[in-house]
Formats: sequence, C-alpha cells, structure tokens
Amino acid sequence: MNDYTYPSVYFSYFLFFLLAAGAVYFCVRSIKDGYWGRDSEEPKYRMLEDETQHESQPTGAGAPRRP
Amino acid sequence: MAIQPGSESAAAVAGQEIHQDTTVKWFLLGAVGYFAVVGIIALIIAAKFVWPQFLGSIQYFTYGRMRPLHVNGMLFGWLLAADMGLAYYLVPRLCGVKLWSEKLGVATSILWNVIILSAIVSLLGGYQKGLEYADLPTPVAVLVVIAWVMFGFNIFATIATRKYEQMYVSTWYLMGTILWTAFVYLTGNFATLLPGVTGVNQANLNWMYTHNAVGLIFTPAGLAVAYYFIPRCANTPLYNHKLSMVGFWSLAFVYVWTGAHHMLHGPISQWLQTISIVFSVMLLIPVWAVVYNFIATMKGQWHQLGNNVSLKFLMSGTIFYLLTCFQGPMHSLRSVNAIVSKTDWIPGHAHMAVMGTFSFIAMAGVYWVIPRVFHTKLHSEAAANWSFWLFMIGGLGMFTSLWLGGFWQGWQWNNPSIPFIDTVIALKPVWMVRFFSGVLIFSGIVLFFYNIWSTALGSGKSQPAPAKAEGRVYAA
Repeated sequence: MNDYTYPSVYFSYFLFFLLAAGAVYFCVRSIKDGYWGRDSEEPKYRMLEDETQHESQPTGAGAPRRP
Repeated sequence: MAIQPGSESAAAVAGQEIHQDTTVKWFLLGAVGYFAVVGIIALIIAAKFVWPQFLGSIQYFTYGRMRPLHVNGMLFGWLLAADMGLAYYLVPRLCGVKLWSEKLGVATSILWNVIILSAIVSLLGGYQKGLEYADLPTPVAVLVVIAWVMFGFNIFATIATRKYEQMYVSTWYLMGTILWTAFVYLTGNFATLLPGVTGVNQANLNWMYTHNAVGLIFTPAGLAVAYYFIPRCANTPLYNHKLSMVGFWSLAFVYVWTGAHHMLHGPISQWLQTISIVFSVMLLIPVWAVVYNFIATMKGQWHQLGNNVSLKFLMSGTIFYLLTCFQGPMHSLRSVNAIVSKTDWIPGHAHMAVMGTFSFIAMAGVYWVIPRVFHTKLHSEAAANWSFWLFMIGGLGMFTSLWLGGFWQGWQWNNPSIPFIDTVIALKPVWMVRFFSGVLIFSGIVLFFYNIWSTALGSGKSQPAPAKAEGRVYAA
C-alpha cells in the first residue's frame, strides 16, 4: 500500500527539524551563558525593578544579587 | 519574598520618563476595538446555530463568510495584536532600554490595521483560501509576513541593545514566538499552495500549521505576557526562573510534532499519527512546569485576587491553561479521539485555549498597561470587575455546554442507526446555551472596550495619577 502523505511529511518535518535543531543549539548556549547556574534566578528579581534600572546601569552588568 | 508596594509606583514613574510607548498604545487600542467588532460576528454565528434562517438571505452574513472572519478577526485582529502591543511594552522594560525604533513600531501598527481591514473586506466579500486559520487571501498573507518581519526586527534589535546579559523568561518566549511564527505561518499560508500539494498532503501541512499557530504563536506569546504580569501584578518574584526555562525548552522540543493528531483515524500514515500522539502526551511536561511556577508564585499572595482584576484574569487563565492542556493530550489518544473528533468538543476546547487562557492573559495585560502608558487611572474598577465575571460565567457556560454536547454528538455519530439530521436537532439545546453564554461574553467585551477606550480618551482631561503615594495607584 502506498503512503501518499510522504511529500508533505518530508517538507513539514524538515522545517520542524530545523526548529528542533535550533532549539538544541540555543539550549546548549543557554547552559554556557549561565541560565542553569547559580545566577539563574537573578532575572526574576531584576524584572520587578526594571523601570528604575534604566539608564543607570552599565551595559552587560547584572543587577545586584538578591538573597 | 514580596516587594513592598510603594516601590512599584516610583518605578512606574521612572518608566514613563524613559518609554514613549506610542506603539503600545496604537496596537492595544486597535486590538481592543477589533475584539468588540469581531465579538458581534461571534454572536451572529452563535445565533445562526439556533436560528439557521437568521440573516441567511444576505450573502455577507452567511455562515461561510462569518466563520472565517470570526476566527481570523479574533486570532489576528484581537489576540495577536494585543500580544504584540504587550511585547512592545515589556521587552524594552525587561531589557532596560528604549524600544529600538518607535517609528518602525508605529509603521508596523498602521500596516497591521491595513491587514485587518483588508481581511474584513475580503472575507466578507467571499475572497478566501478555504484553509483553516489560513483563510486570508495570499496578498493579505504577504502583508502579514512583512508586518511580522518589521515587528521581529524591532524586538530583536531592542533585545540586542539590552543592558543585562541574562534575559528574563518572557524575553525567551517572545524570541521563540517571533522565530516559530515565521516557520509556522509560511508553512500554513504558502507551502500549502505549492504545486502538487493537494488532498491529504495539503491537509497534513494545514493541520500542522493550525495546531502550531496555537502552540507556537499564541502559547509562547501568551506565556511571555503571563510570566511578566503575574509577578508584576502580585508584586512578588516568580517562584523559580530555572523551572520556567525547563518549561520553555520542553515546549520548544515537544510542540512542533503534534499537528497530525488532528487527522487521527484519517487517511494518513499510522506512524505519523503515533508520533503526534506521543508528543501530544509529552506536552504535559511544559504545561506542568508553567502552571506549577505560576501557582507557586502566588503562594501567600492569593488574598490579592479580591481587589486585583488583572490578577483575577491571569490566575483564571492559568487554570484554563491547565485544563485545556490536559484535554489536548487526552483527546489525542485514539480511543478518546474516536468519540470527540470533529464534534462540538473541539470548538469548546479551542475556545478555552484562545479565549479562556490567552485572551484572559492578554486582557489582564491590557488592563494593567493602558492606565500606565496613558499616565492615568483605569476609568472604572467596577466595570473591570464586571467584565471579568461576565467573561468567566459566559466562558464556563460555553465551554461546558460544548464539551458535553460534543461527547453526546460523538456517541450519536458512532451509532449508524441514528440519522445524521437527528444528531443535529438533538444539539439545539446545547447551542441555545452557547448563544446565551455568548451574550454574556459579548457583554464582557463591551465593558472591556468601554473601560479601556474611556481610560485612553479621558487621560488628557484628568489629573495624572498620584503615582508616588501608594503602590497600585493605576488599579487593575
């Protein structure tokens, strides 16, 4: 029996394989960038003060560590 | 750890000085306007189920034209536009910089309005592709792609200039939304039209697009908004940022493969169906990570629900998210799918996802943002509260009647001795409940529209809110 869905399967799953590959790449990069390390909770405190931090902090610097 | 209320208002004042927010205003006010207009269409459709002759002789109001207008209007005119407006609000704040280009943002908003108005004219005129969620004529779909590139460029350029190296989870979700939408939208609107893509191949691509439109466009955009506004509205930090990253990455890996579960028991390969079932069940991982994080964030803060409308919408949206994402994997199972597929269960499920979850979250964001960007108070706290309860009661009426009706319908369809027309007649009481639930929901939309537009239009006439007095002066 022929499987007539193959052309669309190849096409769509190739597109979504690209997405999954991108996800793997950026997930690994997020580990390198410290998102899973000891500073990983920092953004959740900083976002509560995001309006006051503007223009006062040097580029690339993180907010002070919270307890 | 809860933050003291007074600090929020000082922060808001500082934010007002930094951010222009013109794009936010344009997008949000437009989205709220389309919500009201398309709400009328929704009500007409619900009425047609009960009284099929209603407006039946006027070609522009026939079901075949109203339904795509309702779907596309709600998805692109209201929800996506609201999410985009909220993204323009939260990304610069999370990055600690101004929006990269306010002019580009306003131009995107103008183009978006051209798209929605073109969609209304073309769909009412009967010009459509006839593909689920991809009904827009190709020239309009091309404009959507251009607008999305403009939006994505502005957001990514803002993120590129951010002051903080580590990004909050909302930023991750929005970046994901922008990239995934590019793939998903192109697949559904253009790949389906390629030469030779017909029949079951076209259906496969179309359902892959349709499901991922919800899962990879509206889900990450909605979760980005929720991850921002739940801590902000409750004035308390997110429970666990690392857990939020688990949710994000598991969504990224799992969601893309689920689309074919719309064609279970259909003329597609069994292995393709099985893959879609397996990944649909795995969706419980990102869902649980998200819901647990939101619920745990609210630990010790539940008392705030009483006088915080945005928080009411957000936490109700969270519960609906849990329910809809439990339903999804369950009706992806072959045995359950054999009963509910193509029945009223499916619109019940879809409405809980798009309205109960993501529209609730977007409305919470709009109620929070509009008073702040217009530097005023919300026009009416009472009306906001009423709108919540109208949405909640109307929504519950619609969801439950469609689930029960859907199961009933499915059992009848599985009994070949019952004539099809009898199954249609049997559903009339269900559709009656849906219509009156729709009346409640539409009343909620009208109040929401009135409140938001009155806040915006009245902002120039009233004194600015006393921002430094106490926290939450903007209300909502």
